[in-house]
Amino acid sequence: MPSNTESAAEARNPATSDLVSAIQDSIARHVRYSLGKSWNDFSCRDLFDAVALSVRDRLVDIWLETDERFRRDDPKRINYLSIEFLIGQSLGNHLHNLGIRGLYRQAMSNFGADLEAVEESEEDAALGNGGLGRLAACFLDSFATLGIPACGYGINYEYGLFKQEIDSGYQVEKPDNWLAQSTPWEIPRPEEACLVPVYGRIEHGVDRKGAYNPMWMDWRVLIGVPHDMLISGYGGSTVARLRLYAARSSREFDMQIFNDGDYFKAVEQKIASETISKVLYPSDAVIAGRELRLVQEYFLVACAMRDIVRRFEQGHAKFQEFSAKVALQLNDTHPALAVAELMRILVDEKELEWEEAWTITQATLGYTNHTLAPEALEKWPVSLFETVLPRHLQIIYEINRRFLDRISVTHQADVERIRRMSIIEESAPKQVRMANLAIVGSHSINGVSEIHTELVKSSLAPDFYQLFPEKFNNKTNGITQRRWLLKANPALANLINSTIGERWLTDLYGLRELESHAADTSFQAEFQKVKRSNKEKLAKIIQDTARLKVDPDSLFDIQVKRIHAYKRQLLNVMHIIDEYLCLVEDGRQPAGPKTYIFAGKAAPGFWYAKQMIKLIHNVGRVVNNDSRASQWIKVAFIPDYRVSLAEKIIPAADLSEQISTAGTEASGTGNMKLALNGAVTIGTLDGANIEILQEVGGENIFIFGLKVTEIRAIREQKSYRPWDYCARNPRVKRVVDSFSSNLFCPQEPGLFAWISASVLDAKDEHFHLADFTPYVNAQDKSGNTFRDRVRWARMAILNVARMGKFSSDRTVTEYAREIWGVKGSRFAD
Amino acid sequence: MEIAVDNVGSVAVATVPVDELDASNAAEFKRDMAPVLQTNTRLVLDLSRLRFVDSSGLGAMLSCLRQLSSKSGDLKLCGMSKQVRGLFELVRMHRIFDIYGTKEEAVHAFKH
Repeated sequence: MPSNTESAAEARNPATSDLVSAIQDSIARHVRYSLGKSWNDFSCRDLFDAVALSVRDRLVDIWLETDERFRRDDPKRINYLSIEFLIGQSLGNHLHNLGIRGLYRQAMSNFGADLEAVEESEEDAALGNGGLGRLAACFLDSFATLGIPACGYGINYEYGLFKQEIDSGYQVEKPDNWLAQSTPWEIPRPEEACLVPVYGRIEHGVDRKGAYNPMWMDWRVLIGVPHDMLISGYGGSTVARLRLYAARSSREFDMQIFNDGDYFKAVEQKIASETISKVLYPSDAVIAGRELRLVQEYFLVACAMRDIVRRFEQGHAKFQEFSAKVALQLNDTHPALAVAELMRILVDEKELEWEEAWTITQATLGYTNHTLAPEALEKWPVSLFETVLPRHLQIIYEINRRFLDRISVTHQADVERIRRMSIIEESAPKQVRMANLAIVGSHSINGVSEIHTELVKSSLAPDFYQLFPEKFNNKTNGITQRRWLLKANPALANLINSTIGERWLTDLYGLRELESHAADTSFQAEFQKVKRSNKEKLAKIIQDTARLKVDPDSLFDIQVKRIHAYKRQLLNVMHIIDEYLCLVEDGRQPAGPKTYIFAGKAAPGFWYAKQMIKLIHNVGRVVNNDSRASQWIKVAFIPDYRVSLAEKIIPAADLSEQISTAGTEASGTGNMKLALNGAVTIGTLDGANIEILQEVGGENIFIFGLKVTEIRAIREQKSYRPWDYCARNPRVKRVVDSFSSNLFCPQEPGLFAWISASVLDAKDEHFHLADFTPYVNAQDKSGNTFRDRVRWARMAILNVARMGKFSSDRTVTEYAREIWGVKGSRFAD
Repeated sequence: MEIAVDNVGSVAVATVPVDELDASNAAEFKRDMAPVLQTNTRLVLDLSRLRFVDSSGLGAMLSCLRQLSSKSGDLKLCGMSKQVRGLFELVRMHRIFDIYGTKEEAVHAFKH
């Protein structure tokens, strides 16, 4: 059905039928000449390709105009380096942003096809694990919408994040070969391929002037082939570029072995070098020490830097101007090698003096931290580093030597502090600390929520904060409302547009105008109708994928995110068990029927997380099949969580579970997406939840649990005694005992006994039992509130209305103004 | 490979006759350069045909330079493409070799 978002945008087009006709011609031309297919003989996939190619034509036109504009104006360019870009599907997003969805819908209809079906046939580009990669994708949308001259740099993984299947409750990973059929969105640029040397050794010598000259010898070479994805901005005036590099082996790399007569070894080596961009590493996997990952990180940095320097040199002769014309933002430490690579280029290739090169490097680079756990910070063994990047290790040693010399003056006697701040960890084996490298080499270090930034300053890098406090700043994460409301929830977007207009699409603070409608019963009814419709759609998905019938009138309590200990899916399950046991053993019913919905992937090597998936399934099997409980409680796990699935789940949520242990979630962005779609949050004072609380008000959110300061005190005093909670509260004990009683694993006795031991251990890092009762209370409160439909509707509407702060447009604008020193066309005023 | 050598006064100008100097032909290049290096001390290597060089190729040229240096001679390079020049810079070998844009400039440099 056409939406008013479409008609409003397209009303500006005077000759709609001509435009539709031109679109049909374009699609037909691509079917014939791009795909080489007859009109009578092509598949659904072919139709998607042809439609996408016709949209890409428009993107190319806008891109060429954008590129021309930026070349002419010569603004400072932003380069966003990220090992992940979690793009998801693109077609629908482009159609919305370009304001042509209605035209394409009509064109499809004229062909006897359905636009939604064509959009749905698109494979997700799953080039990321979760929040970090999706943040990068949201930023690209905002760059283009705001007219910021920016380019994303990443890796063109042949295999994205694995596809998740469930077998008897266990996660099974299947490869995601998303490029198997190629993608119409990518434009290969083999003519701009670059050479990336790796491995080898340093030969110490002197140059023609007698100065020390370390030469990088016996390297092997990889070839980085760029593939461009064009990113439309809302309104269609600017297109940004995401440049993804694929690794190719060089011919000569194989030829020596080939000539020696070992054809198979030559082929193996070719495959080995092309492996660099083969697969995305799942997060939480033990990747430190994995040579391929280090090569992968360098490959990204080397390709990006070469492209950035090449583009700079096209218009500028002096590298002294570099930082005035180029900004590089490092999305976490994965691209932190950019510090050493830029120094290498400036000192080795451009022959700048070290100090001058260092000034330029620091002024160019900014580092975004996403990690709070010190043990999760990236480190690489020096020996591995020396093998893979011998020249870069030399440079890092020199950066470190000069840095330590400097701080030795200011912190003369404090050997321990100097040891902590060193880029090289003097452990056995010695390691290169990538976060320290990024901090030392950048002019800006930012956290991604207010509390996270404070924790970076006080806990993660306090020594650095004391040394240069001016470098540290906060940039609370955001999400693009174009994907997460306009595209994901068209019915709600239409309701908002017809109530307050479209301003929110480029200024999310515009949603504030909804506040005056929050108590309006007719608006509430419309709002609830939209929610109910979204829940019906999700119920069908659950039926189709999890083979479970759920009631759309029940409270949809949703926890969708990577499965991880700190995100505490376990706490959620413990509450479900409690609710179930209260019902079947105590005869106490919950306030109303509830459907607990989970989705998320566990890293393949992360046993704990995979056990959680099994636990959710087993608890679901018991609860869903118990006639005493099934009318009150249902538990569903929807497999293969990904961006396109998130777009269907999130609009259907009533309650948003954001229950990480305080001080562990850097920001979270799922919390923002859910609230923007009218879910009320139940959460801890962690990450961006705190700012959501500030925005929506305490009466419109269910906050519970230990605070960061309380957890810190418990840890310092070693005062956590989980068994006390068991002793004091029989309900807690009953839930804990259920894990060891085989209630949820009759076929596999003992399967979950470890959970009892784990939550009763004083070393439980996530304080499950301490937070259990406050969580149950918050759940009761939310369940009771949900029964008051008018009150709940008002809360949900106010959550939507007060999400203005959490647009990635706001986040990117802050980066632009406060870190990069640039303006975009949209916010120049 | 057939390496053509022209003499311009006391300077020999050898032209690298391949598009790519890499692991597949670096040993052959060294072998065929041996007589040129034996009979000359002032040598210009014309790289204008070369489009790609890998670490083996760079190593072969470095070996030529060292042989000439050991008998107080010199090797100058000319005619590098942007890509080849980029590789020299990448591994800091542009600081070891005397590099000129044209053959004439390289030959002329020997006179000073």
